[in-house]
Amino acid sequence: MASENDDPACRRWPHRLYGVGDEPDPRFTLANERTFLAWIRTALALMAAGVGVEALNAAAGTGSDPLRTSLAVLLLLAGVVCSVAAFGRWMTMERALRTNSPLPPPKLAPILGFGLGLIGLGALALLLISGF
Amino acid sequence: MQIERTTLAWLRTGLTFVVGLMVLLRLLVHRSAVAAAVCAAVAIPLAVAITVLSWSRHRQAERRLRAEDPLPDGALHASLTALAVLAGLIGTVYVLLM
Repeated sequence: MASENDDPACRRWPHRLYGVGDEPDPRFTLANERTFLAWIRTALALMAAGVGVEALNAAAGTGSDPLRTSLAVLLLLAGVVCSVAAFGRWMTMERALRTNSPLPPPKLAPILGFGLGLIGLGALALLLISGF
Repeated sequence: MQIERTTLAWLRTGLTFVVGLMVLLRLLVHRSAVAAAVCAAVAIPLAVAITVLSWSRHRQAERRLRAEDPLPDGALHASLTALAVLAGLIGTVYVLLM
């Protein structure tokens, strides 16, 4: 965890990351951190949507529907993937900042965008099939 | 200013996790009280710890910036990622428990 030590310059985790390049402008590091947190919150929203699909289903008192269950699980897994990818991206960006190389584009953003669009269409179809 | 904004983002995220987990566990209690208790014992303290630590990290960052030392490292990021994955797994358990 974020523990105090005598020499902050070494023993910073992950070592693989802090072993390369040199310290970037602190503002960039902080901006990268906030971007990571925004990704994590996005992941959280995906998971909340997954749980919400199931909770609404339970509240309506309808039986379990394999389609709806798979939609919920899909959203939850997307959330898990998104949070792991958030950390990976934070590392990648921090490394790019430290080595002064160009920042890579977010690989997950288009997948997430189109994927959410498809999930929205799927949810709409489910709604129409199951009636209002 | 930058540090303050970042800390607020951490607190916002941490608190969202605390609240979200509580809602999720409240739902889970109806399906399996045991699973809910186990998940609560693990996830809620972790979420609270991350939220509290983000505040001490704020003070640490300010101190280091003044001393022109490097900022705190990525350990808290990894903890938060682990918590997010854990929340996803608890959600999946909730969905799949009939």
